[in-house]
Amino acid sequence: MTRGGFLKWLIGALGAVALGGIVYPVVRFLKPPPASTAAIGQVVNIGPVSSFPAGQLTAATVGGRPVIVTNVAGKIVVYSAICTHLGCIAAPSGTELHCPCHGSVYSATGTVVHGPATLPLPFYSAKVSGGSVLVGPVTFTRASYPTWYKGQFA
Amino acid sequence: MSVDTVEPQGGDVNPPDAAQPAPTHGRMPGALAWVANRLGMEELMEDQYNRIVPIHATNYIYCFGGIAFILFLILVVTGILLVVYYQPTPDAAYQSVVNISTNVAFGWWVRSIHKWAATGMVILVFVHLLRVFFTSAYKRPRELNWISGVVLLMVTMAFGFTGYLLPWDQKAYWATRVGTDIAGSTPFIGHFLLVSLRGGENITGATLGRFFTLHVLVLPVVIVVFLGAHFWMIRRHGISGRL
Repeated sequence: MTRGGFLKWLIGALGAVALGGIVYPVVRFLKPPPASTAAIGQVVNIGPVSSFPAGQLTAATVGGRPVIVTNVAGKIVVYSAICTHLGCIAAPSGTELHCPCHGSVYSATGTVVHGPATLPLPFYSAKVSGGSVLVGPVTFTRASYPTWYKGQFA
Repeated sequence: MSVDTVEPQGGDVNPPDAAQPAPTHGRMPGALAWVANRLGMEELMEDQYNRIVPIHATNYIYCFGGIAFILFLILVVTGILLVVYYQPTPDAAYQSVVNISTNVAFGWWVRSIHKWAATGMVILVFVHLLRVFFTSAYKRPRELNWISGVVLLMVTMAFGFTGYLLPWDQKAYWATRVGTDIAGSTPFIGHFLLVSLRGGENITGATLGRFFTLHVLVLPVVIVVFLGAHFWMIRRHGISGRL
């Protein structure tokens, strides 16, 4: 192979890599993303009751969406971990939930301890069946949840 | 080197020999040369190939306009991709943007490139303006280049302003509120401008629709027309002389 031939080949190869680096993401982008794994109303098994210790706030996911599972003396309560202020994900901190974005604090039952959030975290219907926690659809007990927030669960 | 002498800067700077076949054949792969021949583009392209870039214009400060144009091309491509998933209605706009950034494969990548290329284009267009101003490149016979360039700056800003509303979040809402309020403070025609931009007294879905239309239909046509004129006049008058 001549030096010129090699350089032409090299330029071609590098050009193909550069082109591939653009074409591959674009093709992947145009392929529609899969629909959300769990539609509203679908019941999801999030694991055995034993994985949610009593008196503790446990983070979990329902259909890819973050939730908080509480076990108060065997009664399982599940509510969304999506902060009602601007949609960040609140994390358990002791007996409270703290939102990392703007410092909203929720109690262990999902009510607002202090803002900026004003609305409580919405509940999912949940029951224990055969030792497993089954989580159903989320319910918005108040009409005042904004559209963007409800959209998080669509 | 004086202004009048031109040193060869590489490439084919010899005058084309009429007896020789058009040298485009040597420069283009076969298929491309075939298409160029059928379209009669050889003479046109030969003229482009034989243009000599003066040595003073190879300084990087002469690249700002070109970089701004490259960013514009990137914005066209990423913008077309974004509009595949974007939905310009008040109920769906924010969710569709969140969907692009979180669910769509490489959506965050495309959206980030669009955002940063837009920011970069505003900066580069302005820096290009400074270069033209400080090298006196706006003077005769390039006055219309300057004027079309100012229009292009305004169109770029209009692109930025209309695009800023499209995510339909709090920042978008308040930026548009402030921006259209400023337009509303214009003497005599202020109120007309305000309601024309907003599609009513307040910022509603009508505002979103109008800004979306401006951003993806009206402004692209305007910028292409003015870019065409801008580039044609550069070809016609050449790059301005040295300082």
